Amino acid sequence: MRALVLSLALAAPALAEPLVPAFTDESKTAGLATVFQGEWDYMVGGGVATFDCSGDGFPEIFLSGGAGPSALYLNRSAQAGALAFEKTDAVTLDAVLGAYPLDIDSDGVLDLVVLRQGENKLLRGLGNCRFEEANEAWGFDGGDAWSTAFAAIWEKGQDWPTLAIGNYIDRKEEAFPWGSCTDNWLHRPGSGPDGQRFAAPLALTPSFCALSMLFTDWNRSGHPSLRVSNDREYYKGGQEQMWHLEPGQPPRLFTEKDDGWKRLRIWGMGIASADVNLDGYPDYFLTSMADNKLQVLKDTASAKPDYADIAFKSGVTAHRPYTGDDLNPSTAWHAQFADVNNDGLQDLFVAKGNVDQMPDFAAQDPNNLLLAAGDGTFVEAGDRAGVASMAVSRGAQLVDLNLDGKLDLVVQNRWTGPEIWRQTGEAGAWLEVRLAQEGINRDAIGAVVEIKRGAAVERHEIASGGGHASGSVGWLHFGLGMADRAELRVIWPDGTEGDWQELPGHSFHILRRGAQPAAWTSG
Amino acid sequence: MKLYRRQVLGLTVAAPFALALRPARAAARADVSRQVLLTWHKLILELVRHTATYMPPVAARGFAYIGIIAHEALTTGSPALRSLAGQLTDLTPLPAREAGQFDEPCVLHAALEMAVHELFVNTGPTGQRAMLKMAGMMGKTASDGMATEVVDRSIAHGRAVAAHILAWAATDGGAVIENLGFPRDYTPGTRPRDWVPTSAIRMQQAPLLPDWGRNRPFAMPDTVALDAPPPPTYGEDPASAFYGFVNEVYETGRNLTDAQKLIARFWSDDAMLTPTPAGHWISIVMQIAERDALPVEKIASTFAKLGVAQADAFISCWSTKLKYNLLRPVTYIKRHIDKAWEPLLITPPFPEYTSGHSCQSGAASAVLTAIFGEDFAFDDATHEDEGLPVRSFPSFNAAAEEAAISRLYGGIHYRFSNEIGLEQGRAVAVHAVALQTEA
Repeated sequence: MRALVLSLALAAPALAEPLVPAFTDESKTAGLATVFQGEWDYMVGGGVATFDCSGDGFPEIFLSGGAGPSALYLNRSAQAGALAFEKTDAVTLDAVLGAYPLDIDSDGVLDLVVLRQGENKLLRGLGNCRFEEANEAWGFDGGDAWSTAFAAIWEKGQDWPTLAIGNYIDRKEEAFPWGSCTDNWLHRPGSGPDGQRFAAPLALTPSFCALSMLFTDWNRSGHPSLRVSNDREYYKGGQEQMWHLEPGQPPRLFTEKDDGWKRLRIWGMGIASADVNLDGYPDYFLTSMADNKLQVLKDTASAKPDYADIAFKSGVTAHRPYTGDDLNPSTAWHAQFADVNNDGLQDLFVAKGNVDQMPDFAAQDPNNLLLAAGDGTFVEAGDRAGVASMAVSRGAQLVDLNLDGKLDLVVQNRWTGPEIWRQTGEAGAWLEVRLAQEGINRDAIGAVVEIKRGAAVERHEIASGGGHASGSVGWLHFGLGMADRAELRVIWPDGTEGDWQELPGHSFHILRRGAQPAAWTSG
Repeated sequence: MKLYRRQVLGLTVAAPFALALRPARAAARADVSRQVLLTWHKLILELVRHTATYMPPVAARGFAYIGIIAHEALTTGSPALRSLAGQLTDLTPLPAREAGQFDEPCVLHAALEMAVHELFVNTGPTGQRAMLKMAGMMGKTASDGMATEVVDRSIAHGRAVAAHILAWAATDGGAVIENLGFPRDYTPGTRPRDWVPTSAIRMQQAPLLPDWGRNRPFAMPDTVALDAPPPPTYGEDPASAFYGFVNEVYETGRNLTDAQKLIARFWSDDAMLTPTPAGHWISIVMQIAERDALPVEKIASTFAKLGVAQADAFISCWSTKLKYNLLRPVTYIKRHIDKAWEPLLITPPFPEYTSGHSCQSGAASAVLTAIFGEDFAFDDATHEDEGLPVRSFPSFNAAAEEAAISRLYGGIHYRFSNEIGLEQGRAVAVHAVALQTEA
């Protein structure tokens, strides 16, 4: 009977009521215990990073601890089993706001970029989930700021990544912190006398208190730009931003006059990107307070970054709690598109939580799980799926933690510690792939995976950045609905188009550049 | 003339201290009071911007009460000043000072600290932190070198003054703002002329603060009596006068000059992005106070009268807006002229007629003209931090008229709404102008 219901639901993705996934709360048993602590100077941040540093294919979890220690947890889950994590002492830094995994030195071992109050840290992966600080060795100036956003890209012709770091308020300003946004930084490759690989950081002036950054090839020009989402609470004269990043040229801001950039001023807190409307161009969900934004290019042929906000008509404003008694406006942080119910449509998760005792905004603010209905609209299902937590959430990751083909969820909360849910209900078919290339940029950051969805092609940018202080490298998950196989291809970061490949559902594959897809199994 | 007024005021204010303080000492304490008043207002402008419920009418109300509190705190210690009790609707006499010496900066600081804390209790953690910091800084500034018993007595009295006025404020109908001022349920009108929501923001599918026009006015005796006349007869015929007004907005928007864009943005004064229109005029007074080294008593009484005029103007304007419920230009233009047209400014989420900024600017200019004179020139650097250049005005009326026409340039108001709004505000302000702040 359950199978019949599932079949009916998945056979008709355009129906208004999508399959609601079922999650089981395993917060008390999974072994995660790191609390995001701290007061005013930790009101933002609280990031989660997921990546496999043990080499077993299962993603580990790094949790930022704010004023307390952060921690890395080894994934001890059995495939398709209950979630189980073991705390390590590998990364116990304090003052951590968030982290992003990235193989900076392209040695095939993931490193970790750690955003902090104070000096940011690049932690070089040594294998077996051991790390060493590499700021000095790599010539990375960690600075001394309130760092809250990150994005990375390999610029054309470079064998070392460019790192963008977003900074927030000048924390020394107590009476008049407004207007004190400190400079964001662009760490480009360089060459120092002792082999350092990063040049001195460039200030991305003007900076407007960034809380999320994302390199994105918004116009499919082959030259990703840097989108920056800024918190209007603290800037003066600011707005949302995008920077041109052309090889060998200094970064240049998109402007209304020269580029047709349209001014938007929100409490920008997180960026999620996906090709929601299947027009081949990335769309952007921007989290904020009260209404959130879903931006789609008005005219893909115009080459102008002019976006329409379709959040209202798509049902994703997520502007106030949808369950509980608190009807005040919401406060949104991490956002992430992913196909949670494996029906072949991109769903949307949004982490919610009051900044801190702001009575005009909801104190009981449930996280959102907005399921795509197939007709361009989304349906709220957080409560029915069992993930409508009222905790004060910040960072998160939707990721398959037990490698059963269904996405699980880990959320870091302020003061009360993390929550983790295993997806335990029925879902459609799935496929998970990892990209791999030799030489530099082993995980192919900046690549695009195209997957056929009927007559349409859905594009997925492989990015390092975005969300709210939270990042992931690992298996790329695709829901397939009732299909038993998928047709996809990779466009590698240098623009080389791979062949279309047909891969079976319910499988893991390594897509190595220039090679046939290789099936992967656990153990 | 201005200098003469300042001299007279300075002498009269110093008089109560003659028994306790020598003139030089009294002048120094007056300077501290002035610093306390202006520094707190610098923070208040930020708090208005950063407190989500402080939509423009709410901000005007807040400025009014803070101005009244500052004036009354000073008035209880100066026979040269006259209380607004008995002049403002339902305001009863303020607590008198007990026997003993008082320090004016401490009285004023304590009154402002309490007022700001209460009126901005909903601000976010950064605002709360800033208020605490400011309380510490100004408290130290005010009490430095003063005897503890004098400080304690003064603080107690300042708080008593603030508490009295805040209790009065709690009954005016505007004290509680829910859902950022937007009703949770709303059924739009169905007549072609009716206002309908203009944005794709889910929160703004109902008019902001629809009952604001029913709030207790400060100085005007009767809100309804000061209502604006009906707007021009609605029409969709291109030959109709109404179409002509709409078409003016449309054509102006299509042919905006850089100078017009700058004016539109200078007076945009958006909620949650600026100190709002009322804060803009408060900022103008602060700049004049710094430039001309105005005495604290004059600054406080100006804040009080200006705040009262602006708050009443918003009450009056909102009464008119909800009465006529007229649609915005963007709605009409998209329906009948050009589906793709967009105004330069964000269209505010409430009915069009009359223009709120015009109304309160008319009121502000009337009050300030009465206080400072007809041809009082000033520079306005309110939005310098936002990257907008300083603008210079030959008079308050000139500034108000520019504020009014800016709404046409911005594409959010018809010309008649701006012009009638100015007149509506000036009519409301007559009652604020009539307030007596000197004995």
